[in-house]
Amino acid sequence: MVVKALAAGAIGLALGIAASGSILADPPFGAVTIGAWRVFTKAGSLEADPYTRAALSRSGEIPLALGEGLKLVARVDSAGRPLDRRCLYRVGTHTPAARYWTLSLTDADGYSVENAAGRYGFRSSEILRDGDGGFSIYVSALVHAGNWLPIGHVRTFALALRLYDTPLAASAGGIEKSSLPTIEREGCA
Amino acid sequence: MSVTARLGGATLFVAAVAATAALIHFAVVLLVPIVATHDAYARLADLGSPGATTSLPRAGPDERRFPWDDPALAAAFCRFDLSAGPVRVKAPVGRAGFASLSFHTRRGAVFYALTDRAVTHGRMEAVIATPAQLRQLVAHDDEDDPSQDLRVVSPTVQGFVIMRAFSELPSLYAAAADEVKALACVTEPPPS
Repeated sequence: MVVKALAAGAIGLALGIAASGSILADPPFGAVTIGAWRVFTKAGSLEADPYTRAALSRSGEIPLALGEGLKLVARVDSAGRPLDRRCLYRVGTHTPAARYWTLSLTDADGYSVENAAGRYGFRSSEILRDGDGGFSIYVSALVHAGNWLPIGHVRTFALALRLYDTPLAASAGGIEKSSLPTIEREGCA
Repeated sequence: MSVTARLGGATLFVAAVAATAALIHFAVVLLVPIVATHDAYARLADLGSPGATTSLPRAGPDERRFPWDDPALAAAFCRFDLSAGPVRVKAPVGRAGFASLSFHTRRGAVFYALTDRAVTHGRMEAVIATPAQLRQLVAHDDEDDPSQDLRVVSPTVQGFVIMRAFSELPSLYAAAADEVKALACVTEPPPS
């Protein structure tokens, strides 16, 4: 009986710690999913839930305040398939209203990935646009004409879209899916 | 031992495991922010002493301290400690492009933020105070000539301020990095 109770306690302890590690890597609450994008509207605010708070402490991220802007992260394409370095993606053609936006590529933990072109992201103020003001960013390991965002040597990657000084900040829950850029998979090697 | 007794014992065992796991899990989630030795504040403490303005390393493949930092933004920080008095934060802004200040607790949560839309006299400025210091400041205000200071109450005695500046082009990053270096966080003498 005592042995069984101790065993249950030990297994429970191990399970509890193991589960916490993986759950805090991707906190379960507070995220809104809009198409391919996920946004933690309360991340870094005083009202964040305990999971989001613990995840922030562990990652060391310095969060943006809602009044400064919003960060949205995509780990899948618009069809819901995980982003794959063997594929070519076209991201576009517009974003929600913001004074500036940036689109950057990171590894799964949010760090830039080394690439020969030294290109880690695009700013709204430097991007090549088409005739009607839309844009296309090509995310690919292979060189691509136009706005090419190289994938670099990494197994899994994420795309981060940041909207600076956006009227959305106050109502992040109300972002229209159609206002966000889509991530279309154009083909895979 | 009958089959039902064995089944009952197994169920009890699984339930005990699940209950312990759940309990440990909740304890871990609540304790992580308190015992974290490598949170944003600790990482900043490795880079700069309290009160001093220190540039944040630019996001890039060789920089693995602050995840999700934007390579298009230059940033600098100062850590504050209100135990010796309120801290005045000044951030001159004189450049095209977005700039902002965010005020963080010891645990990293944002308790206030300002953007360059709030620039007066060419700078963003605020005074960080504890609730007790705020009461003192208000008590010492001249009724006929009230202070124009923007006063912000910090939930924690220690914390940090981040200034960010957006570079519209890669070639303008250096100018943005220069701008954030002018961030100043100075402890004010107590009101007398």
